[in-house]
Amino acid sequence: MTTTTADISDAPKLAEKPRRTYMQQVLQDTLTRLGARFGLAWVVVAAALAIFAPFLANSLPLVMKTDQGIAFPLFRYLSAVDLILLVCTFAAIVLLCLRKISARTRWRILFAIGVVITPIAVTTVNPPDLVTAPGWPDKGYHIYRDMDKAGKIEWALYAPIAYSPTDRLRDQTGQRLLPPGAVHWLGTDSNNQDIASRIIHATRIALSIGFVATSIAVVVGVILGGIMGYFAGVIDLLGMRLIEIFQSIPQLLLLLILVATIDDRGPRMLYFMMVIIGLTSWPGYARFTRAEFLKLRKQDFVQAAIACGLSTRSILFRHLLPNGVAPVLVTASFGIASAIFIESTLSFLGLGLQDQPSWGQMLSEAIDAGGFYWWIGTFPGIAIFLTVFAYNLIGEALRDAIDPHTKKAKAL
Amino acid sequence: MSTEQPLLTIDDLGVSFMTGGAGVQAVNGVGMTVYPRQTLAVVGESGSGKSVTALSTLKLIPTPPGRYDSGRILFDGSNLLDFSERQMQRIRGNDIAMIFQEPMTSLNPVYTVGDQILEAIFLHQKVNRARAIDIATESLEAVGIAEPRRRLDEYPHQMSGGMRQRIMIAMALACQPRLLLADEPTTALDVTIQAQILELLRTLQTERDMAIMLITHDLGVVAENADVVAVMYAGRIVEYGTVNDIFETPIHPYTHGLLNSMPALGEGRHRLQTVLDVTPDSSRLPAGYTFTPHEQAPRRPIEQFPILSTLVEGRDNPMVRFLFDTAMRAPLLYELKPQHWVACWREDGYDTEQTIRPDLAFRRESAAVAG
Repeated sequence: MTTTTADISDAPKLAEKPRRTYMQQVLQDTLTRLGARFGLAWVVVAAALAIFAPFLANSLPLVMKTDQGIAFPLFRYLSAVDLILLVCTFAAIVLLCLRKISARTRWRILFAIGVVITPIAVTTVNPPDLVTAPGWPDKGYHIYRDMDKAGKIEWALYAPIAYSPTDRLRDQTGQRLLPPGAVHWLGTDSNNQDIASRIIHATRIALSIGFVATSIAVVVGVILGGIMGYFAGVIDLLGMRLIEIFQSIPQLLLLLILVATIDDRGPRMLYFMMVIIGLTSWPGYARFTRAEFLKLRKQDFVQAAIACGLSTRSILFRHLLPNGVAPVLVTASFGIASAIFIESTLSFLGLGLQDQPSWGQMLSEAIDAGGFYWWIGTFPGIAIFLTVFAYNLIGEALRDAIDPHTKKAKAL
Repeated sequence: MSTEQPLLTIDDLGVSFMTGGAGVQAVNGVGMTVYPRQTLAVVGESGSGKSVTALSTLKLIPTPPGRYDSGRILFDGSNLLDFSERQMQRIRGNDIAMIFQEPMTSLNPVYTVGDQILEAIFLHQKVNRARAIDIATESLEAVGIAEPRRRLDEYPHQMSGGMRQRIMIAMALACQPRLLLADEPTTALDVTIQAQILELLRTLQTERDMAIMLITHDLGVVAENADVVAVMYAGRIVEYGTVNDIFETPIHPYTHGLLNSMPALGEGRHRLQTVLDVTPDSSRLPAGYTFTPHEQAPRRPIEQFPILSTLVEGRDNPMVRFLFDTAMRAPLLYELKPQHWVACWREDGYDTEQTIRPDLAFRRESAAVAG
């Protein structure tokens, strides 16, 4: 008996299809689209700018030779965040180059490295503050420029843009509101700060707020939406009312009120903004997940999984989620764009970060400068536009790849 | 009966669904017994409660809208209806496994076949990954899949329907269940594959001493595979007996109807008979048999059905009277002949008795397996 059946399954298959899961297929379809490629390219560039910002725009020399030997001042002043980002990036690159490791193990290792490095970096790395350095004006960003002028440095290697984003050039005169030129590529603002440097450093805030806020929203939305869709009935009814309540709250007004109550204008403000944006924008994801799960819960493989004795949690997140996550991804890429917008808006209204540059805050500086200095507003504006546009392109392409009706329109 | 312990006994099971205010009684007073290494076939038309009975055994009926009204489901002596969800999760897949009608959609499309089998193994057995892969490979081999090791890495969409049903069976068997609920396992497959799958189930059953509850509406499948047959109609068991008794000397009119609606090979016919066409042959039935075609409204007085005239005449007859339309009056199962139960109700006022759960340890000679 076994032999006959084996013969039948031994018959050569007519078309050997490449092994691709649904998600791989969707991602590949997405990447064949020109728009998605442009969008992704810009996001990759922006991410690189964000990660390597301290090496791209910094007032401190990378390497210098003094009579006391070779020193690396820039590395001394790297913050904990810089260090975590760098270590994780290099770990990711190394893991990508290593073959024979499954994607799952890669993610696990990367996650473990992140978990280990974060507390170490936060507790041990504590660089001196150069903006409000004690003993100003003797210390600050210009100490090395002063040393250079005094002839104490034999040679030094600087970053491509030799100005830190918060370097107010206190040692120099006539640097205020300079138009784009050879020294300051994109000009300076009314605080003598280099705009190119500020834009590069602000990328980090824009991307992180986009990702973290959207991740919070997706996690909350998918969990609540999944539970609503899977259990249906009364739970679904209550959940939908909760969604309606949340959707009737004007997000921006709520944010304005909440942000205005916070005094801290430092990083804590940024985290607060991420959480608030995340906690107010989950209903969209919840709705999508609910709709998908309502559809999927009646499928045979779910019944089969229950009959196999799987727990509800495993069915929800291991079996249903991968099948229903595609539309959520589309919304998430639009969500990142809108989170960046919200942060820009808040910063523009003067409710964002103070010491660290952000694109929206730079736009508001253009107004505060008191006059027509086009370069102050234009370049951060272009940065916002490009990033939001890139995420929208990616979202659009993802949606086309998922929706079979639009699959033919492959052009853009 | 025998001294053998039954694996599964269902006693007076009642399941109803609340839909739009009015409850629908899907299963009503169903009782059956399954012994190890026995195949119990549950036959009946769509909506007769076959699948609900099987799903109830694993407590897979969503509540609400479903509700277990009455009865007990004893597996190994403990009532599954009293079990918590967590306890049921330990039973599902491990002691009682189920395979479904649609192999094309019963596997999760985003995971490889191996992932899904391994998940089932890890869930119920404490083994390491290498051992689990061995078990999975063995079970794929057991269901006749060539190159099992390579198939583990494939996705369901790369396989045909027959292959997928084999995978489903392999998945169900990976944990060595003692009872397999097969809900129309071959309905979606073509005839050659169907035969292979059934043969496979028979072989595996004898190898592993597994009991099978086979749910089907294909009487050919029943004749070849079942030891004991339960005929269901409108949520009740109307006839219960060994496969030989049911096929050779059916008593209940509905069973007659089912059997007669099966076309015979080489028989020239313009129209196939339906169950409804099958009017009882009064010369062959004892007086007092009734047969109400079930498309007619059951609420009408019995006298309005011309077909029932013999019945009305026989009203004074204290004989056991058979009711076909179960919606009218609840019939009870009576052991009319040794080891042959038939649903009927009595005119002599003994209706109030408890339903007797049919209990048959019969197994046919395993000659069919060898052939």
